[in-house]
Amino acid sequence: MPDNIYLPKLARVAHIKDEVYGERAIKTFRVEPVDGEFFEHECGQCAMLSIFGRGESMISIASSPLIKEYKQFSIMRVGGVSSAFHELAVGDVIGIRGPFGNSFPIDDWRGKNLYFIGGGCGLAPIWPLITTAVAQRANFKNITVFYGGRTSRDIMYRAELEKLRETVDVHLSIDKAEEGWDGYCGFVPAAVMDKDPVPDNSIAVTCGPPIMIKFVIQNLNKLGFADEQIYTTIENKMKCGLGKCGRCNVGKDYVCVKGPVYSWEELKNLPEEY
Amino acid sequence: MEKILDKKHLDGWIAALAEWDVLGPVLEDGIWSYQTASGAVRLDHPNTKQSPKELAFPQREIFFKFEQIKGEPPKLTQVVPDAQRHVAFGVRPCDGRGVPRMDLVFNDHVEDNYYQARRKNVAYVGLACNKPPSPNCFCLSVGGSPVSTEGLDVQMTDLGDRYFVKAITETGKGLMTAAGKLFAEPSAADQKQVKQVHADAVAYPQRAIRNPDGVPAKLKASFKSPLWEELAQSCIGCGICTFLCPTCHCFDINDEVQSKAPLKGQRVRTWDNCQFPDFTMHSSGHNPRENTGARLRQRVAHKFQYFPENFGMPQCTGCGRCVSECPVGIDIVTVVNKVVENAG
Repeated sequence: MPDNIYLPKLARVAHIKDEVYGERAIKTFRVEPVDGEFFEHECGQCAMLSIFGRGESMISIASSPLIKEYKQFSIMRVGGVSSAFHELAVGDVIGIRGPFGNSFPIDDWRGKNLYFIGGGCGLAPIWPLITTAVAQRANFKNITVFYGGRTSRDIMYRAELEKLRETVDVHLSIDKAEEGWDGYCGFVPAAVMDKDPVPDNSIAVTCGPPIMIKFVIQNLNKLGFADEQIYTTIENKMKCGLGKCGRCNVGKDYVCVKGPVYSWEELKNLPEEY
Repeated sequence: MEKILDKKHLDGWIAALAEWDVLGPVLEDGIWSYQTASGAVRLDHPNTKQSPKELAFPQREIFFKFEQIKGEPPKLTQVVPDAQRHVAFGVRPCDGRGVPRMDLVFNDHVEDNYYQARRKNVAYVGLACNKPPSPNCFCLSVGGSPVSTEGLDVQMTDLGDRYFVKAITETGKGLMTAAGKLFAEPSAADQKQVKQVHADAVAYPQRAIRNPDGVPAKLKASFKSPLWEELAQSCIGCGICTFLCPTCHCFDINDEVQSKAPLKGQRVRTWDNCQFPDFTMHSSGHNPRENTGARLRQRVAHKFQYFPENFGMPQCTGCGRCVSECPVGIDIVTVVNKVVENAG
C-alpha cells in the first residue's frame, strides 16, 4: 500500500548526548534519514518514533525546521519505549512517522517580544521555537528565555543555553540554592516574576510540568498578560497520531491533530483532561 | 431497484454470489454471530452478539512484519489485507448505520489504509426490524429507525413467506442482478404491505432518550457533574460495552516479538477500550481519566457530545448491546437521561 500511514520511515541515530543523569535521565538524539529525505516539520510538531520490537512513542521534535539534515529528540527515560531509546548507540536504526499536530504561529509574532518559559524536559518542545526565533532574530523585539531545573544537574541543553546568552536574555533557575550557582534559586514561576516581563506587544510560551505551567500562567495573568498572549503545549498518551485510536482527546479534540499547541485562551475553555 | 424474493430462493441468491464470501447470522451455543454461510441461511435472528464492524476493522490485524540482523537496518514488510469480497446478510439497521460512522473516523483527516482496503470489499445486506429485536433497542432516539437504509447496500423486509428487497447502492444492485431470475417484480399489494410493515415498525414503542437534540449541550455542561462517578460506581471496567458496539473504534498498536536475535516480529493493531485505566495513562503514571466515572463520561460524551460536535450526528446507533450485555447493569439510555435531567 503506498502512503501507508502506519509504516514508519527508517532513520539512523547520528549523535547521542547525555543531558541529565539519574532517575529522570534525559538523552538527546539526532537522527538522519536512512534513504531519501525527511518530512518537513513546523515548530511544536511531534513525530512517532519506533524501536522495532519495543514499540512506538510520540515525541516532540526538538530541532528547528530550518535544520534539514537531521531531526533532534530529547527523551526522558520513563516508559518502555523511552527506556529502549536510552539503550541505543550511534548507528542504530529507528522508525519515524510524522509530522503530527499543529504548530506555534511564529509568523504571527513578528515585531513582538517573545518570552520562553521552560521547566525540566519542557525545554525540548519549545527549543525549535527558540532556535528558529533566534535564527530570525531581526523579526522579533526582545527575546527572553527562562528555564529551570530541580537542581543544576537537571538543566538540559546547558552548553546551547550558554551560547544562546550571546544573542538573547537567558535566565536559568534551580529550585534550591547550590554552591557555585549564580542564577535564580526558586521555582520557575517565581523566577519569571523576578524579572517582571512586560505584557505590551508580547507573547509568552511556557512548557514544563503541569504544576509549573499552572503557576506560570497565573503569574503571567497577574503581570497583565492576556490569555491569548500565552501559549503552551499539552501531551496525552497517543498511539496513532491521526485522530483515530481514540485516547488522546480533550473533549472533542484529539491532541495529536488539534494540539499539542494551544493558547491559554483556547485551552482554558477545554475540559481538564490532560 | 425493488424486487420480491420468495423465501425459498434466499439460498439460491446466496449461491449465485460465487465471488463473495457470504456471511449470515448463525446460532451456536446460544450466541448469534456472523459466519460464512455453509448451507441454508435463516434470517430469524434478533441481532448478533457482536456487530459486523470487524469485517472492515478486525479485532486484530498485522500492519507489518519486521526483521533485523544485528548491525543491519531493519527490514519492514507490509501486510496488505486480502482482496476477498465479503457480504453480510441480515444486518440490522442500527449496525448498518454504524458503517458510515466508522467510515467518518477512519477517513477523517487522513485515510486509514488498512480500514479502507477492507471496507471497499465489504457489502451489507440489511434486514429491517419489523419489531424491535431487543427490549433495549432505542434507534429512534439517535436519528435512526428500524427501517433505516443508511450504510446498507441492500435492504430486505420480511413479508411473511417472501422478502421485499430494495437495492440502496450500485453494489447492492450488482448483488441482486447476480441472481436476477430469482427475483420477481413487486405487485401493488406487496408495495402496500411493505409500507404498512415499515409504518408499524416505526410506531412500535422503544426505549427513549428524552429530548435527544438537546443532549450534546447538556452533556457539555455536565463535564464536572458528580453524577458520573455515582453512575459508574458499579463499573468493573470489563469493556464489553465498547467491544460489542458497532461504532466504537479505539485501538492499540503494539510490537509482538517472535525472536530476539535475529529480531523477528510484527506490529499489530488490536481493539482497545476507553474503559481500561491504562488506555490513557501517561508513562509518568499520571492519568487524565483516572476513575470509572471519568471513563464512563468519556464513553457517553464521545457518542453523544464530541462526535456530534465533530460530525453533526450521534455516534451511537441505539442497538442496545452495551445495555443488554453489561454485567453490572450500566445502561447508557438511563445514564444520558439522568445526566441531562440533572443538568436542568
